[in-house]
This record gives sequence, structure tokens and C-alpha cells, in this order.
Amino acid sequence: MAASFLRTLIPFDIYGGMKLTGKYFGKVFIQSNRQKKRTHFTAEYPEVKVKLAPRYRGRLQMIKDEQGEIKCVCCLACEKICPTQVITIEKGKKEGRKTPYPTRYDFEMERCIFCEFCVESCGFDSIILNHQFELAAYNREDFSHGMEGGFQNMFDVTPVGHYSVAEDVQ
Amino acid sequence: MFKTEEMEINLGPQHPSTHGVLRVKLRLDGETVVKCTPIIGYLHRGVEKICEDKTYFQGQVWTDRMDYVASVSNNLGWAEGVEKLFGITVPRRAHYIRTMLTELNRLSSHLLWLGTHALDIGAMTVFLYAFREREQILDCFEAFCGARLTTTAFRIGGLREDLPPGFIKQVQAFQDRFLDCLDEYETLLTENRIWKKRTVGVALLNADDAIALGVTGPVLRAAGNPYDIRKAFPYAAYAEMQFDVPTRTAGDTYARYQVRLEEMRQSHRIIQQCVDGLPEGPVMAKLPKVLKSEVNEVYHAIEAPKGELGYYFVGEKGSQNPYRMHVRAPSFVNLQALPKMTEGKLLADVIAAIGTLDVVLGEVDR
Amino acid sequence: MPMTLTQLVVMALLQIVLLLAFVMMLVPLITFAERKVIAYVQVRLGATRTAGGLWGAQAGRTHKSRTLTGGLNGLMWYLGRVPMLSIFRGLPVFIADAVKLLTKEDIVPEGADKAVFILSPAISVISAFTVFSAVAFAPGALFTFPAWFPIVGGLPFNAFLTDINVGLLFILGISSVGVYGIVLGAWASNSKYPLLGGLRSAAQIISYEVPLTLSLLVPVILTGSLNFNEMARRTATEVHWLAIPLLFVGFFIYTTCAFAETNRVPFDLAEAETELVSGFHTEYTGMKFSFYFLAEYANMILVSALAAGFFLGGHYLLPFGFQTFLMKAGETAWFNQPSILFFLGKVLFLLFVFIWVRATLPRYRYDQLMHVGWKYLIPYTLVLIFVAALIRYIA
Repeated sequence: MAASFLRTLIPFDIYGGMKLTGKYFGKVFIQSNRQKKRTHFTAEYPEVKVKLAPRYRGRLQMIKDEQGEIKCVCCLACEKICPTQVITIEKGKKEGRKTPYPTRYDFEMERCIFCEFCVESCGFDSIILNHQFELAAYNREDFSHGMEGGFQNMFDVTPVGHYSVAEDVQ
Repeated sequence: MFKTEEMEINLGPQHPSTHGVLRVKLRLDGETVVKCTPIIGYLHRGVEKICEDKTYFQGQVWTDRMDYVASVSNNLGWAEGVEKLFGITVPRRAHYIRTMLTELNRLSSHLLWLGTHALDIGAMTVFLYAFREREQILDCFEAFCGARLTTTAFRIGGLREDLPPGFIKQVQAFQDRFLDCLDEYETLLTENRIWKKRTVGVALLNADDAIALGVTGPVLRAAGNPYDIRKAFPYAAYAEMQFDVPTRTAGDTYARYQVRLEEMRQSHRIIQQCVDGLPEGPVMAKLPKVLKSEVNEVYHAIEAPKGELGYYFVGEKGSQNPYRMHVRAPSFVNLQALPKMTEGKLLADVIAAIGTLDVVLGEVDR
Repeated sequence: MPMTLTQLVVMALLQIVLLLAFVMMLVPLITFAERKVIAYVQVRLGATRTAGGLWGAQAGRTHKSRTLTGGLNGLMWYLGRVPMLSIFRGLPVFIADAVKLLTKEDIVPEGADKAVFILSPAISVISAFTVFSAVAFAPGALFTFPAWFPIVGGLPFNAFLTDINVGLLFILGISSVGVYGIVLGAWASNSKYPLLGGLRSAAQIISYEVPLTLSLLVPVILTGSLNFNEMARRTATEVHWLAIPLLFVGFFIYTTCAFAETNRVPFDLAEAETELVSGFHTEYTGMKFSFYFLAEYANMILVSALAAGFFLGGHYLLPFGFQTFLMKAGETAWFNQPSILFFLGKVLFLLFVFIWVRATLPRYRYDQLMHVGWKYLIPYTLVLIFVAALIRYIA
């Protein structure tokens, strides 16, 4: 009885919580200048780059082989598997090339859900999801990527993705 | 000269604590709730209908977007349901990895619940502490499958790839510090007098009512019914795991809080067993090139973080798509208990009740 | 030296301007501190850059923010690398906050009672600032004007505006007018969430006014005065040693009531964000909102000043009357001199506690708040008053 009354009177329970938050305040107060070995968990993003896992699923990108030739052979597997139908391929021919050549490879990023099924289905390793994650753009057209086009195309990273890890790769 | 009126107030669809786009129509007498009507459908995308038009392989990506805080659990339900439909046997290693990831996902879902529930009741710091640990789990998901939230983690018949190098170390690093973090949340909340006042005896739901309403998961277990599909109908590798099903009898918000915290401890235990006893072997079963089903129907339920998540498939002969797909979404069913919990209580208890039911509106509306 | 009327008026004006400037500057700084302290408690960094805008956009675009040529952002980056001082990183955000509030569109909702809607923030802010006229930041003069100074040359500049004998009564009376601003503003908004917030606020402030005043009666009984300076001096230096635990307990009860009185966590029901969107000021924008904001934080400074003045030893070094023992070392020792620095230090510490508590505790429910106020705090304070009277009788 007396003990429970004292417990109501003296807020030990609140003291425990205050101690914990106070401890964290002190720790971060001392270490907030540090980049490594620190308590705080947030990254100072635009200045300090974030680390992505190797399997990170970013924007769809087409790959060229050593000769600078497009690897894609228009098997249409990616177009077929895509759950949201964001890929459109037009089959064509190119001189001096035995395999079919995509004259058009359109990728509409506004609908893409980054599931990597297309890459999984590709038997020729001709497309990857790169590590680019800053995909915002000002105009709707900027989300439509084709093989041509100076601003965004299927081979380069977009200029808006300035601080991604992909920048280092290039 | 004076007359009193009941006031009708719309809690949501844009409100800080309705966790998405839930709209609750409240009839208030002063601060007391006279009538509470949840109104749903603001996030309806017709997932079940869309899946009829997709192959079994493609359909999985839509399950990511139902309960988006527990997408791995949803993936597991889909994958196992389809495997049951076609009679595919998954390798043991794949089962273990699936179990490990699903339990990690349960932790991340419960952490998100803890953070937002505490934030609703006013303790804002727990939110960030819980997110700190959740971030580590999401990093593990990113290392495994490349996405943090909409994972699409599994494939029918097993896994797409084996674990990446260093994954076990990453999980172990999380495992080593997680119990201390749980103690931190408990320091901030469990004994706190304000937390207790806000949760003990609030939003009561006894076991009979819970069963009558079809409520499952931690909400049912906090009312005293130890129904857990992981124990009742073991799937994945749960038959080989040692764990307890925590229950409480009070059936109030505090009991649910305790059950979920205890569940996190048990999940921690299961993950440790998966890490220690991970068998060698392939991760993908031999599959036919194209899945085609005889007319056949299957219901497969798993214990998602929020309750019983069931997938019901009706196959069509010669088709790659399901003829019909239905999801028994735990959030949707659990939300039915909201009027029962809140009518006659105060406005602030509605917030606590929404928080303690742990609904995700993506799953409620589908 | 008696002052002429001109001197009196000029001096008063100077003091008012300085006081207003001080409080008005302190408020945005507290909001900055609130961001930073809560962020640090939550293991993150908080505001670290100059609130976006031109500089922020540039930092994102040109990658120059890490260099000194990156302007203010670059400076902030380097400030962030200095131990301890890194808490001041992002300091300009308080200016940006103020500019944003002042330049925002001023919306009066349709169906609102326009006159009351505009008047009520003014009531709040005026009552919140008026009370500072009776608060003494130091017992004596802050400095003396040099003789060449026009009109007021050679006169001492006091650290208090007025030295009235009913100071405490004045403070309590005026500060409780502030609740009218909240209730009227909530009612005039013609919206349901503010109405609920306003009603909660009215009930809360009226019920917590009682234990707050009763707990302030403890130093009043112990010192036998209502004058701010007198009370601060006597509670610090002249109390009976038996009164030390009494002041200690009284301080905690007073602080609890002060949290409720200023609508802060764990008693922030009037603006409970997760329940009532933002309570009584949901419909307010721009300048009018910033008036409520100013009033709330000015009230926080006020209750901290009262706690510092009457319980934490006022303008002296040690709290709870411990200074009485030090006084034996002689009046001339530096630690026995009253100073504005001691006072402001205590006020700032209490403001830190306000933020610290906000970061830690959940929120009470409406009926539980009333329960705590009427069933616990008022009986406790009555017991305290009884003990205080007993000590006064003995001493």
C-alpha cells in the first residue's frame, strides 16, 4: 500500500524514459560531427552518398557489348513478362548483324514497378536495372525513355540522378 | 434556451493518425463516441481482378502492394498458394530462407506498428527508434532482393537467387543488437504511467467477440485465444522451429502491445534458428517452363504480421492465369472490430484503437 | 535621483523595446532548439541546412555545398564538423521559419466570425507579452547609461520593467486571460476540430490554474511577499532549512502544472496533433498562426521564469534555498552576487526540460488529465501549503 502510494507519488517510470532519451541526446550531441562511428542513424544525403546493395533495383538500362553493339536480340521475353507493360520493342534489321536488332526499345518509367522480371527473363543479359534511384523529373515526357533522345535514353543515366552510385561507375 | 446536439465528425481520409486513407465517421456527444462507422475504399485498385489477367508469375508483384509494410509475408502467401495449386515441392534451403525473411518482415511490420501506435498516443521518440531498427531490416531486404519495400522476394518454386555473400553476417549483426533495442522501447513505454493509462482497459475486445468478428492475429491472441497458423497449420519451415505463441487474456490495447512485443522476441528466436540451422542445397525447384493448371481450387493461409492472410485460387484448365483469386486480408477483417471497440468510449480512444488494430489501408482496400 | 516625466517615459520605452526584442528573439531560437534537441534525442541530426530555398536547390544541383564557396550551406557543413558546436548547424532555419510564417497567405475560413477570428490571436499574444513587465530578470540595474547619453544619461537601466508589490498576482491574472484567445479563436473558426480543441483547452487551463496558483502560494507563504524581486531573493537566501524539501517538491508540482498550463506534452490535448489535427489553431495560417505560436512559447518562457525565480533560487546560484548556507561566506563573494546570467541559465535549462519531456512522454487522455489535476495535484498542493504555513509558524 505504502509502496504503491510512493510509486504513484515519485515517477520512477518516467525517470527511466527521461534517462534513456537524455542519454541519446548526450551521445548525439558529442558525436554529431562525425561521419563514422556515430550514434545518429541518418545520412546527410546530398553531400554524403548513400551505399546501395549490389542487387539494388533501379532504372532499366540497356547494355552494349565490347564492340559497342546492342546486346538485345528482340526475343520479346521482357515485353511479355512485364506485369505493367512498360516495354515496347520493335523488331528490325541492321546491316552486318546476324541477330535481329531492336529499332525501337521504349521504356515508360512512370508505370515501371521495378520488379526486375524483365532482367530475369532476359536470356542474353542485354538489360539490367542499374543503381540509379533519383528518378524524379519535371515533365511527364522525361519518364519515357527510348533508344534515342539527348536528355534521357536507355543507355545513359539521367542527368537528374546526379548523386547516385551509378555516377561512380561511369 | 439551450439545446445540446450530437456532432458528426470525419476522422480522415486525410488525418494524421488514420494510417493512410481510412475515413471514420464519428458521431460525438461531447468527446464521447456514440457511433463509429469506418468507411473504406479510398485505395481500391482491384488487385483481385487484375490478378485474373496476370500469370501466376506476374501476379506476385501485386501482392507487394497490398500490405506494403509486410510485402515479404504477402509474397510468401502467394508463392506457397501457387505451389500448393500445382503441387510443387520447394527445396529445404529455400524454405529456411523464406522463413527467415518472413520473420524479419514480421519484425519490420511490428516495429512500424509500434512506432506509429506510440506516435498516435504521443510518444514521438519510440517512432524514430523503431524506424532505426526497421532500417537495418530493410537493408537486409535490399541486399537479398534489391528492393526495400515492394520486395517481390520469392519465386514460385523457391527463390530467384541464393543469399548474397555477407547476408548472414548482416542478419546476425541485426540479431545481436535487436534485443537491447526492444528493451529500450520497453523502458520508454511498458512501465510508463501515461502509456499504461492510455492503453490498459482501452479498446476492449474479448475472445468471443473477436472470433465472432473473424479477428485474427495478435488482436485475437491478446484476447486469450492462442490461434497461430504457424503452429496450427505449419507452413514453410515453421514445423522445424522452436517458438512460443504469446497470449494475454485482458484483450485491451496494453495486452496487444505486450503480445506484439513478445512476438518480436519469438521472431528473433526463429531467425536465430534459421541462421544457425541453414541447410545447404538448391534454392529453386525444377519447374515446367509454363505453369498450367487443371481446374483446381486452393486456399492457403499464412500467419501474416497482422493476422491470417489467406489466398484462394481457382485455376483454369489450360490457362496460365488464375480464373479467380481472392485474398482474405487480415487488416480488412480486423477493421470490423473498430466500432465494437470504440463506441461509448472517448475520441482519444478511437485513435488508440485504430493504432492497436494495426491496419494497413493498402490491404484493407486492395 | 528622481526622474522627470520625460526620462521616465523614455526609459520605459527603452526597456519595453529591449524586453520585447529579447522575448521575440528567444521564441524562434527555442523553436530551433526544439527541432535540434528532439532530433538529437531521436538519434538523427535535425535541421542541418538553410531550409531549402535558393541555397538548398543549389546544394542539390551543383555539388558545391561542401565547399566554402557553397555559401551558407558550405559554412553550415563546416560548422557541422566541429564537435559540440555542430548543434548550431542549420541555425539560419529560425529566420527562414519566421519569414515563412510572416509571408504566408492569410486565410479566413468561410463562415468564420471574422472580428473574433482576427482578435483572438491578438488577445493571446498581448496577454503573453504583458506579463513579462512584472518579471525581474535581475534584482538591480543591468547597466548605467553614460552621462553623455541624451535624456536618460546617468540613469541606471533596470532589468525589470516594473517593481510592483503585487507582481505575482499581476502575472497570474494577466496570463490567464490568454485562454480567452484560445477559446474564442477555436469557436470563431467555425470548424469542428478547433472547437473540440478549444473546449479541451478551456477545461484544462481552468482546472490547472488552481494547482498552479496553489503551488505558487508556497513561496508566497514562505516569503510573505508578492513582489517578484523580494520573493526571488528570500526564497533563495532567507528560507528556513526545513523549507528546502518543500520547495523541491513544490517545484515538481509547479512544473507539472506549468506543462498543462502551456499546453505542452504530456498535456497538449488542445492541439493533440494525432487526434485533433492541430487543435484550436487548425484554421489559422500565416501571421495569425504565428501569434498563437509566439504566445505559446512566450508562455513557456514565463512559466520557466517563474519556476526559476521562486523555486530554483532566482537570481542566485543555488536552487531550492541552498543559497542560504552559502550566504554565510559573506555578501561579497562572487557566488553570492545575484546575476542575470544565473537567472537566464535556469530559464534556458527549464526550456530544455520542456523540449526533453516532449520528446519522451506520451499524451494523457482528456478525462485522465482532469483526474490528475483535481484528484492528485490539488490535494498535494494543499498539503504543501499546510506544511509551508507550519514552517512559517516555526521559523
